[in-house]
Amino acid sequence: MSELMALRPVLVGGEKAAGDVTSDVAAPTERKATWKWWAAFIPAAAMLAVGALATGYQVMTGIGTWGLNRTIGWAFDITNFVFWVGIGHAGTLISAVLFLFRQKWRTSVNRSAEAMTLFAVMCAGIFPLIHMGRPWLAFWVLPYPNTRGSLWVNFRSPLLWDVFAISVYFAVSAIFWYVGLVPDLATLRDRASGLRRRVLGFLSLGWNGSIRTWSRYEIVYLLLAGLATPLVLSVHSIVSFDFATSVIPGWHTTIFPPYFVAGAIFSGMAMVLCLMLIARTVMGLEHYFTLRHIDAMCKLILATSGMVGFAYLTEIFTAFYSGNPYEQFAFVNRALGPMGWAYWVMVSCNVLIPQVFWFPAARRNLLLVFTVTIFVNVGMWFERFVIIVSSLHRDYLPSSWSSYAPTLIEIATLVGSFGLFFSLFLIFCRFLPMIAMAEIKGVLKVGREGGLHG
Amino acid sequence: MTEKSYWKSLAERDDRGELEASEFAEPLEPAGAGTDRRTFLRAAGFTIGAAALAGCRQSSVEKAIPYLLTPEGIVPGRAYWMASTCAGCEAACGVLVKCRDGRPIKLEGNPGHPVSRGGLCAVGQASVLEPYDSMRLKAPRGGGRESTWEKVDREIGMKLNEIRDGKGRVRILTTTRSGRATRGVIERFLAGFANGELVVYDPVSCSAILAAHEITHGRRLLPRYRFDRADTVVGLDADFLGTWISPVEYTNAYTSRRRLAGTDGTMSWHAQFEARMTITGGKADNRFVTHPDDVPLVLEGIAERLGLREPSRRRPPVRIRQADIDLVASKLDSARGRALLVCGTNDLTAQLLANEINHHLGSYGATIDISRPSRQKEGSEEGLERLVGEIREGSVDALFVAGCNPAYDLPGSARLSADLRTIPLLVSLSSHIDETAGLAQYVCPEPHFLETWSDHEPVSGVLAVGQPAISPLGSTRSAIESFAVWSGDPRNGLEIIRDELAVAMGTDPAGAWHETLAAGYREADPAETATTWRGAGSLARRPDDPAETSLSLVVYPSVGMLDGRHAHNPWLHELPDPVTKVTWGNCASFSPATAARLGIEEGRVVTISAGEAAAELPAHIQPGQHDGVVAVAAGYGRLGTERFALTGPEWLFRRRLQPDGSPVGVRMGEFQVSNAGSANWVAGGIRVSKTGRMEPIAMTQSHHSLSVPAHLDTTGGRRRPIIQETSFAAWKENPGAGEPESHHIDADLWAPHPYEGHRWGMAIDLSACTGCSGCVIACQAENNVPVVGKDEVLRQREMHWLRIDRYYAEGEDGGVDMVHQPMLCAHCENAPCESVCPVVATVHSEEGLNQQVYNRCVGTRYCANNCPYKTRRFNWFDYPREDRLQNLVLNPDVAVRSRGVMEKCSMCVQRIELGKMEAKRIGANVADGEIATACEQSCPARAIVFGDLNDPGSRVAKAAADPRYYVVLGELNVRPAVGYLRVVRNRKEDEHQEETHV
Repeated sequence: MSELMALRPVLVGGEKAAGDVTSDVAAPTERKATWKWWAAFIPAAAMLAVGALATGYQVMTGIGTWGLNRTIGWAFDITNFVFWVGIGHAGTLISAVLFLFRQKWRTSVNRSAEAMTLFAVMCAGIFPLIHMGRPWLAFWVLPYPNTRGSLWVNFRSPLLWDVFAISVYFAVSAIFWYVGLVPDLATLRDRASGLRRRVLGFLSLGWNGSIRTWSRYEIVYLLLAGLATPLVLSVHSIVSFDFATSVIPGWHTTIFPPYFVAGAIFSGMAMVLCLMLIARTVMGLEHYFTLRHIDAMCKLILATSGMVGFAYLTEIFTAFYSGNPYEQFAFVNRALGPMGWAYWVMVSCNVLIPQVFWFPAARRNLLLVFTVTIFVNVGMWFERFVIIVSSLHRDYLPSSWSSYAPTLIEIATLVGSFGLFFSLFLIFCRFLPMIAMAEIKGVLKVGREGGLHG
Repeated sequence: MTEKSYWKSLAERDDRGELEASEFAEPLEPAGAGTDRRTFLRAAGFTIGAAALAGCRQSSVEKAIPYLLTPEGIVPGRAYWMASTCAGCEAACGVLVKCRDGRPIKLEGNPGHPVSRGGLCAVGQASVLEPYDSMRLKAPRGGGRESTWEKVDREIGMKLNEIRDGKGRVRILTTTRSGRATRGVIERFLAGFANGELVVYDPVSCSAILAAHEITHGRRLLPRYRFDRADTVVGLDADFLGTWISPVEYTNAYTSRRRLAGTDGTMSWHAQFEARMTITGGKADNRFVTHPDDVPLVLEGIAERLGLREPSRRRPPVRIRQADIDLVASKLDSARGRALLVCGTNDLTAQLLANEINHHLGSYGATIDISRPSRQKEGSEEGLERLVGEIREGSVDALFVAGCNPAYDLPGSARLSADLRTIPLLVSLSSHIDETAGLAQYVCPEPHFLETWSDHEPVSGVLAVGQPAISPLGSTRSAIESFAVWSGDPRNGLEIIRDELAVAMGTDPAGAWHETLAAGYREADPAETATTWRGAGSLARRPDDPAETSLSLVVYPSVGMLDGRHAHNPWLHELPDPVTKVTWGNCASFSPATAARLGIEEGRVVTISAGEAAAELPAHIQPGQHDGVVAVAAGYGRLGTERFALTGPEWLFRRRLQPDGSPVGVRMGEFQVSNAGSANWVAGGIRVSKTGRMEPIAMTQSHHSLSVPAHLDTTGGRRRPIIQETSFAAWKENPGAGEPESHHIDADLWAPHPYEGHRWGMAIDLSACTGCSGCVIACQAENNVPVVGKDEVLRQREMHWLRIDRYYAEGEDGGVDMVHQPMLCAHCENAPCESVCPVVATVHSEEGLNQQVYNRCVGTRYCANNCPYKTRRFNWFDYPREDRLQNLVLNPDVAVRSRGVMEKCSMCVQRIELGKMEAKRIGANVADGEIATACEQSCPARAIVFGDLNDPGSRVAKAAADPRYYVVLGELNVRPAVGYLRVVRNRKEDEHQEETHV
C-alpha cells in the first residue's frame, strides 16, 4: 500500500472520523458567534453601510457624483462589475469542472467556493444596476410583454446578453449550491431541535438519507455540474463581448473571450485561496483545507497567470501586426501614457508576482501565498480598469481625449461591494456548513489504508 | 295514482320544505337593507368631514382666458417670426426673431439683410437669453432705491431745468449708436442746453481708422471693407472674422471669395500678421507672427516695396523678415484693384500708412467703400479724454451714460469712479447695476433690444429697425424714449422712429414702413457726400522704432465676451473660446517658448503688472503666439458675475471655483494705454511673476492633445486623417488632392438601409468654417442645451451638442496652422451606438437620422462609449436652471432632458418635421434649403449645408459628390451622414498636400 499512499496523498488531515467531520463542520453553526466572527463581521457590515449610503446618495443625485465624463462613460462601475463576475468564476470551476474531472480534493473547498461565487455575482449584479442613469427603470432591460406597443429589448446589445448570462449563471450556481447543501442541512436538522429543527427540516426538503434519495441526489448533482460547466466559459465570454463587439481601440479585439475566462479563473482562484486561508485560520479548519489544497490552487493560479500574460503579449502583438494606428496607439498609450502606471500595476501583479509559485517552497509558505493572492486580486481589478478606462480616455479624436479620477462616492461603492461580499460570506460561515460534510466523508480515507481508489 | 315526485338528493326527499327555503344560498335581499341609525351617522360624519376638509384647501384662482381678438398671425403653439436688428454689438446684424406664444425663443440671421446676409454670431445667438435675465433692473432707481418713472423723471427734469438755466454742461456718453432716429432724439435733447455734447467711445476702439480717414479723405469715417471683392487680403492685427467691427458681414464676404465648390475655381489669398492666434489667423494662407509694436514697421516695409516711400536706411528690425514683407507686397501689387489691406492697430501712423497703401493699390472704390461707409464704430478717444478731463475738474453738471460702462471699461477706474460720484447729476441707462450704475444717482434701465423699438444704420444708407418681440418684462424705457421725455416731448419709441425715418420712406410712408418692418431694414440714401483722396500730407511719417520691451500685454475682445457687455449671459461664459477652448473666465496666454523661458506651466497663477495695474491670472500655453506677448481676454471681471459662482448642479463635492463675491475672470481695463489719442490694448514693458498658486482652467479641449505624443507614436509621425488639407495649387490639378491612403471596404455583411424617402445628411466645408462658434450657441438655443457651470466643464461634462474641435499643425516656416472642425452626431448609417443600447433607446429612422428616445433611455452610457466621435452627452445631474425666468427661452418643440438620459444632436428633427408638414400642407415636396438646421442657419460662412442626400439636386448631395468630400474615420465603415470638405489653403507649395492634422 505504500506505493498507493505515495500516489494518493491524504485529502483530509488529522485522522478524522465521519463523526468528527460532522461535529467540526456543524460546530460553528450551532454555537454562539465567536468574538473572532464579530471582529470580522462588524468591519464588513460597516463597509457595506458606507457603500449603501454612497449608492443611495448617488441614485438620488445622479451619476455625476462619479468621476465619469463625456469621454469616459464607464470606469469604476463596470470595472467592479467585471471584477466581481470574475471572482465569481472560481466557485463554479471548483464545484462543477473539478467535479466532472473527479478531482476529489475539491470536496473541502467547493461549498465555500460556491457560496463565494453567489456572493460575488450578487456584488457584480449591483453595478450594472446602479451604473444606470435611471436605475429605477432597470427592469426595462428584461424582455417582458408590455403595453408600450410591445416595446422589446435590443437583442443585438451585448449588455442584454450580459443580463441573460449573469442571471442564468446566478440561477444555476444558486441551485447547484443549494442542491449540494441539502444533505448537510439534513445532517444539521438531525442534530437540532425546536424551531431550528423545523426551519432546517423545511430547508432540507425532506431529506431522508435513503439510498434512493442519495442516488437521485448524485444524478441531479452530476447533471447540474454538467449544466454549470459551459457557464464557466460562457459568462465571462459574454461579459467580454461588451468590449469586443465595440469599435473602440483596445476593446475591439477577438482575443477577449478566452482572455477574460482565463483572467476570471485566475482572479477567482486567488480570491478562493485568500478566503480559505483566512477561514482556515479563523475557523480552525486546518485539517480540511490542507497544504495540498493550497498547493493545487497555487498551481492553477500559476497556470492562469501564464495564460493572462500570454494574452497581454498577444494583444500587443496583434496591435503591432494589424498596422492599425489607432489600435497601436491604444496599446502604446496603455503602457506609456498617462495611465501607464495602472498598466504596470496590472502586469506586475498578474504576471510577474505569481511566478514565485514555480517554487514548491513558495506554495507552502502561507503568508507568501496569502500576499500573492492579494496582489493577484489587485492586479485583476486593475486589468479591468486598464481595459475600460485607458482604452476610453484616448480614442479616435484627440479633441475628446480626457482623463479620469474616481470620486469618493465611487470609491465608497467599491468598498461597499467588498462589505457586502464579506458580510454575506461571514453570515454564510455562521449559519451554514462551510464544508460539504457529506462529500468530505467520502474522501476521508483517500490516501489512507483502505481508502477509496477513486 | 299519486303524482311521481323526482328528487335530486336524499336530503331533498326527506325534508322537502326546508330545502325549498334555502334554494338560494344567500338571501336575495341583503340583510338589514334599511340603513340603521348608526350607519347613517357614520356615513354622514365621514361625508361632512371630508367635505369640510376639502373646503379648507386654499386653491388659487386660475384664469385661462383665450384670445378674444386673436392678434394677427398668432396661432397658439405655432412660431411666428419678426424681422429685427441685433444689438449685441454695434455691427447691428439683421435678425429674424422666432417667437412662440408671445415670447422670443430664438434669433436667426436675416437672409435678406444687405449687411449680415443671413448669418449670426455666437453673441447674437446668445442675446435671446438676455431678456430673461432676472438680475436685470425691473424699475428705475433713484437715490439707491427702486423708484417710479414719474418720480425719477420729475427729479431729473428739475435738475435739468436748473442746469439749463445755469447754462451748465450736459454730456451724454454712449458707445456707437448708429441709428438716425436715435441720433435725432439725442441731438434734440442736447440742443435744449447751451452746452450739451454727445461723447461716443467704443471700448474696443477703431478711432485711429476714423481719424486717418479724416486726414486722407477729409471726413471722419469708417470705410466699409468689401472682402467679397478682394482677391488678396492682408490683415494686420485685425481679427476681422472673429470680433473686429463687423465679423458676420466680413466672414460672409471673405468666404464668398474662398468657396471652391460651384465657382470658377478662384480663391483669394490671405496673409495675416498677428501676435496672438486668432480665428482669422487660423484661416490665413500665410500667417506671420508679428509683435503688435511691429505692425507699423510692416506697413512701412510694404509701402517701401510698393514704391510709396523711400527705402529706409534703417536696419529692418530683426523681428520681421524682409522676405515675408516682399511676398505680401508683391501679392498686393499684382492684385491692384482687387487687393485689400486691413489694419486693426489703433494707431494713427499705422492707419495712415494703411490708407496710403490701399489708395496706391486702388482699393478705394473697389474693395473699400467710402461712399457708403460703415457706421459701426464712431467712437473717439479725444472726446472721451476731454470728457474725463471735464469730469475731473468738476465742470460737468449732468452726465447720461447709455450703453456703456466707463467705470469698468476705462483705466484708472478707481479715480474715475470717485470723480463720477462728484457729478451733480449722473444718470445711467444700464439694465443692470453695473460698475457705473452703482455710482449714479439715477438708473433709468433700458429694455433689452428684443423688448423695444430701436434703429441702427450699420452701413450708411441701410436703415435697420429693431422691433419688440415681447412686452418689456420690467418697467424699463428705451434711451430714445427717456431722452424724448427729458426733452419735454414724450413719445413712444415706435412714433419716434417712424417720424424720424419718415424722410427716408418716400411717397408712401405707411406702406414703406410696413415693408421696412417686414424686411427689417430699408435702403436709403447715404447721409454722407462723396469724398476724394487728399493724401496724408505732412502727417505721413515714419513709425517710431518699437520700444525694446521684454514682454507686451495684448488685451483682446474674446468671441463670447467682447468688451464685457454680455457678462451676464451664461451661454457665452460657457462657450469655449474658438482658439483657447477656455470657458468661464480669462487666462494669460503665453507662447510655449516664453512659458518655458519663464518656467510657467499651464494653470500656474501669474501676476501681470504694468505701472499701477496688476492682475492675477492662470497661465495658458498657446501655440502660434508671439514670444514677446502675453494675451488676455477682455470683458471679464464684471460686477454682477458673482452670481455665477455656484452655477451648475448642486452636490456633495461641487467645487466653488470663484472665491466668495468675486466675479468671473479678471478685469483688464487698467492695462489700457492711451497712445497719441487712441486707446490701445497693447501695453509694453509688463512684468510677469509667478505665484505659488495653481488655478484650474476650464477648457473643453485639452491642449495636450495637439498630436499623438511623440513617445506614444508608432506611425513615424503620421497624423490621423481627421482633418484633411490640401493646397490650392494641388486642388486645381486634382480636386481630390489631399486624400490620404484610404482603407477599402470590400463587402458588408448586412444589406444597407433602404432610405426610400428622404435621407438627411450634412456637409461641412472646413475650408469655409472659421470656428466662430455661432453654430454652437444656435444649437444651444434651439435644443435647450443646459449650462453646466465651471466645475462641470472642468470635469469635462459640457453639454454642447455641437462642439468645434480645434487642431494645430505645423504650418509654413515653422509656423502654426490652426483648423476648426465642427463635430456633431454623424448620424451614422451603421451607428455603433444603435447596436449596443439594451433598451432600443437610440434607433435609426427611415430617413437616416439616428434618433435618441429620451423616455426610453435608462442611461447605461454604452452608446457614448461606443461613439467614435464622442458626440453623445449624458445628463449627469438634473441641471438646475437657477434663473427660473430663463426657462422662458426654452424651445417648446424640444424636450428638456431629465437626469440619467443620454442626449445628442438630433439634426434639429423638430425643424425637419415642421418642414415636412409644411410641404405636405401645400402639397409639394420639401425643397432643398427649405429646412435648415439651427447650426446651418446661423453660419455666417455658409460652411454648413444640410439637406436630402437622396435628392441628387440638393446642395448636400452635390457636396457629397465633391472630390473634396470626406468622412471622418471612414475606415470604421460606420458610414456617417455628416461629411466634411477638405481644407484648402491658397499655397502654391505642394509640400502640404498630404498634410493631415492632429
